[in-house]
Amino acid sequence: MVTALPPRTAAAPTTVPVTGLRHRSWALAARFDRELGDPCDEATVFSYEHAIRLDRTETFPDEICAALNTWGLAHYYVPAAYGGALDDFQDLQMLIRTAARRDLTTTIAHGKTFLGSLPVWVGADAATAARLGGLVRAGARVSLGLTERTHGSDIMAGELTAEPQGRGYRLNGEKWLINNATRGRLITLLARTSPAGGPRGFSALLVDKDDLPAQAWQCLPKVHTHGVRGADISGITLHDALVGPQTLIGTEGSGAELMMKSLQVSRALCPSLSLGAADQALRLAVRFSRGRELYGRHLADLPLTRRTLAEGFADLLLCEAVSTVAVRSIHALPSELSVTAAAVKYLVPSLVDGVIDRLGSLLGARSVLGQQYAHGMYQKIARDHRIVGIFDGNSLVNQYALVSQFRSLARAYLGPDDHRPGLAMLFDLERTLPRFAAEGLALVSRYGSSILGTLPGSVARLSAMADRAPALAGAARRAQQLGDAASELHRRMRRVAPTVADASAECFTEARRYALCLAGAACLGLWLHSNEAAEAECSSGELWRDGLWLHASLRRILARLGMQDGQDGQDAAADDGVFDELYERLVAHYQQGFLFSLLPCPIAEGPPSC
Amino acid sequence: MVVSGTSPQEREFRSWLLERLGQYLRRSVEEIDTGVPFAEYGLDSVAALSLFGDIEDDFGLYLEPTVAWDYPTVDSLARHLAAECVRRVTGPLGEER
Ligand SMILES: Cc1cc2nc3c(=O)[nH]c(=O)nc-3n(C[C@H](O)[C@H](O)[C@H](O)COP(=O)(O)OP(=O)(O)OC[C@H]3O[C@@H](n4cnc5c(N)ncnc54)[C@H](O)[C@@H]3O)c2cc1C
Repeated sequence: MVTALPPRTAAAPTTVPVTGLRHRSWALAARFDRELGDPCDEATVFSYEHAIRLDRTETFPDEICAALNTWGLAHYYVPAAYGGALDDFQDLQMLIRTAARRDLTTTIAHGKTFLGSLPVWVGADAATAARLGGLVRAGARVSLGLTERTHGSDIMAGELTAEPQGRGYRLNGEKWLINNATRGRLITLLARTSPAGGPRGFSALLVDKDDLPAQAWQCLPKVHTHGVRGADISGITLHDALVGPQTLIGTEGSGAELMMKSLQVSRALCPSLSLGAADQALRLAVRFSRGRELYGRHLADLPLTRRTLAEGFADLLLCEAVSTVAVRSIHALPSELSVTAAAVKYLVPSLVDGVIDRLGSLLGARSVLGQQYAHGMYQKIARDHRIVGIFDGNSLVNQYALVSQFRSLARAYLGPDDHRPGLAMLFDLERTLPRFAAEGLALVSRYGSSILGTLPGSVARLSAMADRAPALAGAARRAQQLGDAASELHRRMRRVAPTVADASAECFTEARRYALCLAGAACLGLWLHSNEAAEAECSSGELWRDGLWLHASLRRILARLGMQDGQDGQDAAADDGVFDELYERLVAHYQQGFLFSLLPCPIAEGPPSC
Repeated sequence: MVVSGTSPQEREFRSWLLERLGQYLRRSVEEIDTGVPFAEYGLDSVAALSLFGDIEDDFGLYLEPTVAWDYPTVDSLARHLAAECVRRVTGPLGEER
């Protein structure tokens, strides 16, 4: 099943003809990357070498952030309604991914402004939002202050207080381990407005340091970190800081709810960081395997190496598929984002940590060298990426968010089909998404997960297609196995004792399986709804043809659900063929200078020069 | 604990809530004071949200997920649920589902 590689051309990547599905967000990302310049060229401001140099000296990426501002990245942090360019979160997803492919530290340092502003987009009045929009577009940094020295995930234990004072508040306390606490001009705080605390005892405040007298606040020293070394991870203390009533975001007492809703949106977007990091790791691994000779041949000629690389590619594509569905959900299915975002924020960083580890073993010594191989980029990716699973709600917090909804998720999945919204809008990449409406967000999902709810129907549909197109038979069988695993999982979830207050270790394992099943349902939905258009596209169409990426993704998901290989000789052979073919697609993407993605997106360095 | 001046419906909600919390928290019903916030018994705010699904399941009352945040004790929540029932039967909007 090996297809001839398309000829390697030296033409500028943007001249590659594109037909079929052309997605505006992928096109935007390609333009962004091109305009940032070739990252392999040390004269480029946002180059690989520059990012590594800053990391070595723990220096904040000021110059690179300035270049990103010049390009206009901050405009995409501001909704169009408030004067910005953000009308489709897929644009932001692809821009973050593109920047993260060059350097996670810079992307986290710059992107934090979006996170800090998000509670305002979700909960503030239009005048406040428009005012902040203007500041952000002009380059002001905004940070998000939830965490305190003694309180991390448990945001409702925070001790920073906002006492009513006149019409405004008097702030006292500290926020610590805050990205850009020192460099940011504004900070969104979660503050205790009622001494008793509790879910209604907190409020969100947007504080502008420029409005405070110098003695009212103090920044804390930079914290030295293992990853994202150049970033400004610090803190801030407030002493009797008086702020006006306009700092309150939303209503008093709504802070916890507002933060939890905002975090749903940011958690859907966080995987974009992981996708960028995985692209970089995979590119380095492919490059190494093609250059490295041992026992008289290239590393890439060893079947095990090819399989490892192809599986890494499949993992990346499945992460892309489920992340894309999650980001589209911000617009098309916000009422279920409490489930969808928790699943991807847990799953994607954890899978990508695994990919980086595994490809690291392939690179061997070169994955840990500080400078000698590719400027020491690999060890930096591994260090930087660890952080993605920790901030913005760590893995356990997101797993717990799923566990706490297990019974209603099971009820909705196993119950009668009285609520199954059509999800064509969500899954069809050609469809334009509705405007994001924060009012649609809900702290828990009333109808469970409609995304997972599509699984039985998708399995049946693929199987019917396979009757007519035998090339799909392997993917259809894997889909069937996933459907069976999901039904069993939901039956077990239904039996989970209602002791939500102290979830067992087994529940957390089940939450991982749940996230994997949801990812599988997202892959199937996306393929079924977008395959026709995507297949017609010349450069990535082959990934979609005969369900190639779908089959590989399902295989990777099933392996993680504990499905043993080897009992089914025919299926295992079909899988081998799929991964062989996927390896060829990986090499083609690499050689032509394309992002490792389901849709075409040329990268600025073009075809590899080394 | 029976509080005087409560409607039968409110008492029904109260005993239902006590039983449910007992299960959630793995405590006996006698240990739970109906005037003390759920959080003090270790029911975290995320877990408290799942009460709304149980209320819908058992009583067909669809409320905001944050109902247990706004009425954080057995007494206040039972009173609110009883009032909601009355409102839905007699109110202009009627039953939601
Ligand atoms: C580089 C970096 C940047 C950061 N930037 C910011 C920022 O800009 N703004 C901000 O507010 N914070 C920021 N943080 C803080 C980060 O969000 C917290 O570290 C995170 O929320 C976890 O808190 P914690 O590490 O204090 O651990 P804790 O929350 O105290 O958790 C301790 C342990 O308990 C586990 N745990 C927590 N909840 C549960 C549960 N329900 N069930 C089972 N186990 C659980 C955790 O997984 C962890 O292992 C940043 C952190 C880092 C490292």
